[in-house]
Amino acid sequence: MTVDSQGTASAAPQDAPGRAAGKSQTPPPPSGAKESLRPPRGRRSLPSGLLPYLLVTPALLSMAVLLLYPLIRNVILSFQGVNKREMIRRETPWVGFENYTKLLGDPDFWSVVVRSLVVTAVNVALVMLIGTLVGMLLNRLGKKMRLVLSLALMFAWAMPIVASVTVFRWLFDEQFGVANWVMRSIGFSGYEQHNWFETGFSTLVIVTILLVWGSIPFVALNMYAALTTVGTELYEAAKMDGASGWRTFWSVVFPNLKPFFMITTFLEIIWIFKAFTQVYAMNQGGPDRSSETLPVFAYIEGMGQQHYGLAAAISILTIVMLLVAMSFYFRLILKQEDEQ
Amino acid sequence: MKRKLIAAIGVAGMMVSIAACGSDSDKAKDGDKGTAGGNKTLTVWVMDGSAPQEWIDGINKEFEASHPGVKVKVETQQWTDIQTKVTTALSENTPPDVLEIGNTQTTGYAASGGLADLTGDKDKFGYANWSEGIKPSAELEGKLYAAPWWAANRAVIYDKAAFKKAGVTPPKTRAEWIEGLKKLKAADPKSQPIYLPGQSWYVFAGFLWDEGGDLATKDGDKWKGGLGTAEAASAINFYKELQSFSSAPKDKDEATPQQSTDIVPKGGVASWIGLGWEAGGAIDAIKKAGKTADFGYFPIPGKTADKPGSVFFGGSNLAIAERSQNKDLAKEWLALATSKKGMQSYGTAVKGGIVPNDPSAQVQPEAGSFAEAMVKSASSGRITPITEGWANVETEPNPIKGYMTKVLKGEDPKKAGEEADKVIAERLNQ
Repeated sequence: MTVDSQGTASAAPQDAPGRAAGKSQTPPPPSGAKESLRPPRGRRSLPSGLLPYLLVTPALLSMAVLLLYPLIRNVILSFQGVNKREMIRRETPWVGFENYTKLLGDPDFWSVVVRSLVVTAVNVALVMLIGTLVGMLLNRLGKKMRLVLSLALMFAWAMPIVASVTVFRWLFDEQFGVANWVMRSIGFSGYEQHNWFETGFSTLVIVTILLVWGSIPFVALNMYAALTTVGTELYEAAKMDGASGWRTFWSVVFPNLKPFFMITTFLEIIWIFKAFTQVYAMNQGGPDRSSETLPVFAYIEGMGQQHYGLAAAISILTIVMLLVAMSFYFRLILKQEDEQ
Repeated sequence: MKRKLIAAIGVAGMMVSIAACGSDSDKAKDGDKGTAGGNKTLTVWVMDGSAPQEWIDGINKEFEASHPGVKVKVETQQWTDIQTKVTTALSENTPPDVLEIGNTQTTGYAASGGLADLTGDKDKFGYANWSEGIKPSAELEGKLYAAPWWAANRAVIYDKAAFKKAGVTPPKTRAEWIEGLKKLKAADPKSQPIYLPGQSWYVFAGFLWDEGGDLATKDGDKWKGGLGTAEAASAINFYKELQSFSSAPKDKDEATPQQSTDIVPKGGVASWIGLGWEAGGAIDAIKKAGKTADFGYFPIPGKTADKPGSVFFGGSNLAIAERSQNKDLAKEWLALATSKKGMQSYGTAVKGGIVPNDPSAQVQPEAGSFAEAMVKSASSGRITPITEGWANVETEPNPIKGYMTKVLKGEDPKKAGEEADKVIAERLNQ
């Protein structure tokens, strides 16, 4: 299956947000109170002159080559009517906005958009909720159990995506799946040959389980790292005031870790919104195209049906949607900057 | 300052993520062409399961002996998503020189200009000797774009022991077939009288042809789908009746899971519909499990005893890429591989299990073999509509498969058929 090659291709970027946000933790997230106590020692030793620009050049260059250039090509492609025939003949007929008007007038496209948004919302909510809880559990556990849980999380995070999808497929297999066996064993009837991938909805539920399972480690471990920066004196003070656990979380932990919650939520939104391998490898967007999310839709139109121009237009619209979502995030960040 | 940092990291994270949205095409690897010092490499793409090793090795040895300095490199491709791969390969500067292309897909590639026009070399390939049934898939508008290689069709494979136990003999008509399946069910309620997944659309196509219908027909200068018709409704109803004897999934085809190696060897299947290589695969898998397969074979029964059921004539053509840099060498290799002698040794290597391009090259299949049953229904072999757009219909998500699943799950055949026809027409006429 080409899924494998696709999997490896998208596996690398997939954990990238993880790494990026991991970095964000290296300087511990600012907790307002402490910041003002410390003298601003960073500014004094900042290098001046050309050096800073030189240091960022490699990063900028690689972004330009690996991201900007393909992006520009993709934009151009989205205005061309390139299909199988044109691809082989190397023709690139300019069709203007035809790909876009075709998409925006296509009810199938809109149902895919709505489906993607719902899947993203449900997944991000679940990931953030369970991830935060697991992170807090990590913080409370003793040394040994913490190690065991962290290892378990790391293994889930390190599992190659295609391999994990394959495992899930077999777990929920109609004829030989463990899920059916478990349901039968605990006494439910009708699970002799239950088809877990019968509808787009049921397929997406299984995809959701996989996505949530795959993303919890990232949130949980980051949450744990962030929690270690909250001073114990704050908890003690809260305890003295007789605050319940619920109250402590909302009044002490949450305000302190607000930047953490924001960045993690937004990274999760990106991660889930663009999740391709998990959805595609699970059921190829089926049955009857009813579990396609935007990236899968783009792939099936592009690589499957060989409408390369149309697929480029879909991916551009996907980027636009992400940009809109992200703009809220940046507005928030900028607003906070101004306030300070 | 720190917030700025977080913002910057946010931007970086987003850029990295967005990069993954851009569709990344997996470029087909093109064979490294050794051009140094007059040494040439001829790259040949064959499909998984098509070319027995000993046969292709023999052809290459002969070819390399008569063409000093030329090496033939054979690369085996998988059927899944092959169309994207072939399209990409044909668009490159160094495509494979010779490609095996499915007979239902050749017209599409010929129309796109990706295949070399072989009309001028007809004599070299022995065009005059090719059978009439096999030619059309290699031609478009009077021009020749490929050399037909082999064709094969499905037959019913059955477990002799199970049939004997139930007192069933190979049926000659559909009515006898159903009767036998009922007996099998009664004799062993735990096993499946027949394994038939819901999306075995080539089998369905046979039933449709039996009814006098077709998957798509030309209406003026436009094509239209043929699934919303009364013929299709009777065909799918017979399929449904047959499928009711199987506990196979209604939304899978015969390849997921692979019926020959993942299902049949596990036991509990009295009969199934498959190709010769599938029967071989099942026999090997059963042997590996320490048991011996005892299979019998019969052609898919027709409505009456005098004519076997229609079957899809699956097969492959060998074509040359228009951009091949070794076109002349490729033509010579092609002529050698598809010559009468080449076809005879191919027929021997596959134990007569194929229908060759030249009827006089047919190797007599062994008695009681799959090939024997298969060749019996070769006279009722048909292929999918010959038009450029047909290949688009076959790419997943295949509307015919979706239609079958819907009807098997109880939807009205006419309504589901009309929906599928819309997609078929859209893809054929684009």
